[in-house]
Amino acid sequence: MQFNTVLRASLLACGLCASTMAIGQEKTGNKEGFSLAPGTVRIMLMRPVIQVGEQSTGGMYEPNADWTTQARENIAASLHDAQSKLGNQITSYAETASGEEPVITQYSHLFGTVADSVIEYQFFPGNRLPTKKRDKGFDWAVGPGIASLKSLEGADYALFITTRDEFGSTGRKVLQIFAAMGGVSVTSGVHTGHAGLIDLKTGELVWLNADRQMGGDVRTPEGAQKRVKQLLEGFPGKPVETAALAGK
Amino acid sequence: MKLRAFALMALTGFATLQPARAAQDAFQLPPYAHAYEPQTVDERGQWMEADERERQIRDSPLRIREGNLETYLRTVLCHEVGQDRCAGVRIYAMEVPMFNATMMANGAMEVWSGLLLRVRSEAELAAILGHEFAHFELRHRLNGFKNQRGTSDAMAWISVLGGISNTPVGSANLSLLGSVYRFGRDQESQADLLGLKYLANSGYPAGSASLVWQSLMAEEDASALGRKQKPKQKYTAGFFDSHPASFERAARLAQEAAKLPAGGDARAKEFQEAVAPYLPRFLTAQVKLNDFGGSEYILSNLSQRSGWTGDLLFARAELHRARATPRDLQLASQFYRDAKGAGYSNPDLDRNLGLSLLRNGQTEEGRAALSSYLTAYPDASDAKAINALLAN
Repeated sequence: MQFNTVLRASLLACGLCASTMAIGQEKTGNKEGFSLAPGTVRIMLMRPVIQVGEQSTGGMYEPNADWTTQARENIAASLHDAQSKLGNQITSYAETASGEEPVITQYSHLFGTVADSVIEYQFFPGNRLPTKKRDKGFDWAVGPGIASLKSLEGADYALFITTRDEFGSTGRKVLQIFAAMGGVSVTSGVHTGHAGLIDLKTGELVWLNADRQMGGDVRTPEGAQKRVKQLLEGFPGKPVETAALAGK
Repeated sequence: MKLRAFALMALTGFATLQPARAAQDAFQLPPYAHAYEPQTVDERGQWMEADERERQIRDSPLRIREGNLETYLRTVLCHEVGQDRCAGVRIYAMEVPMFNATMMANGAMEVWSGLLLRVRSEAELAAILGHEFAHFELRHRLNGFKNQRGTSDAMAWISVLGGISNTPVGSANLSLLGSVYRFGRDQESQADLLGLKYLANSGYPAGSASLVWQSLMAEEDASALGRKQKPKQKYTAGFFDSHPASFERAARLAQEAAKLPAGGDARAKEFQEAVAPYLPRFLTAQVKLNDFGGSEYILSNLSQRSGWTGDLLFARAELHRARATPRDLQLASQFYRDAKGAGYSNPDLDRNLGLSLLRNGQTEEGRAALSSYLTAYPDASDAKAINALLAN
């Protein structure tokens, strides 16, 4: 596993990598005709997958525990703010001694796989599977089994959030400048994230938003607010303040 | 031209910088110290990643939660390295039918079921656990990460500056990449040596560490022969190998063990008893690997210690039924019957016996075996399919 990272990093280091952002990629999908009931919607925020670190000169990810902790706190706080403005009640999932942890973890993995599939096979217009064309609607789910989980009782929806930030190190930036002098493109920094909402009665994915190039420095409260706004773009049933996103 | 000179200067600069970068930060405490908190930015980052990964392993469906297997593994490690050291370690037994154990930066250890099926005594198990613990004690994850980062940084600069100055850099980068693998292999050798010291100091026979690799080589040879390939063991590691060659390790460990106290009981019996409840499922997973030679080697190894028990005979029958030459089908039926005679009582035996008899053209006997499977297990998930077979 470690050695793959080295290989990947050395490939990046060759400076041949172009931006991974494809032109025309869609970012948001909503289940057709779905909207949240106004007011008293209870949302369970599943343990977010948050990774914050630096990108080394050679392109390796250097995890940073302090930044990750800051981001975890900032993002949670911003989410609570954003959702209470929408009139929703949001609870962070707390690990308990219910014995359901292994299943919950599996659902988190499953959500991640489903989200990756949506991004890969529906959000890229040129890559759509025949059953996932736009006229076929937005039809994805993690299965109805999630409804029977005791530790999620009392919540209407589960919100999953994933963000990964690799801030370009000074070395990486200097390398970028030198590479640009030679006419070679080297990217610096990785900022990706996605968020999705699962209907806990049916297991259906009712909304997914993914962005391969996100803004907002999650290490600061203001940056995290911006990030959360971007993560919640297209959140069902509620208008999003698009004006604030103009400066993205 | 100027640019070219600059590039060369930068390259030599990096070459001299490397050793300085590799110099270790001074840590006050060993990572296994009581309630240790990771110190530097890099160490905290590695531990955080490891904490996340450990969370996934803890909740993994592959984890063997039943019984006392994890407790037993822990007892062996604690006996080997001492209570103060093992207090910083968590051991997770995972059902993966391959020979492996891994150590994370934060002291979480994964032990795979394939390892438990292969080692033949508590001493051999301890040799592996001690090796993994040494990785933890010596902070190998962290140092490996730093080495990879430093090297890939240098490679990035060499690529860019080489590109600008039109200097060919392929071979420089290749040898740097090779140095990362060499660094990893050096860490493995260090862990082998420290692990061996723990093994010898705790009273296990020090020669056991070498035996693990000898047996593994014999299994690889058997596996190659089973696949009609030429067995080939490397004498030394290749350029991209993550570990030293087994041959090198076995020889080095035997040589070093000779300098250490010989040790006493390898506790083969205790190990056998601890693993016995899990043996059927470990064997089932091994048989499914489609590795006739290797599996047969493991079975004969196991039978040397316990004799041919029902479980072993059943696994042997399954192995032959899967390969399914006419000769295998006949042998399979024989081994199924022997397994029954040796006390194997799961009704699956009758089904599999029936199926191999049918395939071998022994229709009457086959139908009789399938019928007794259905009698014993009328609600079986495959009852419909078996009934359909019988109705033909």
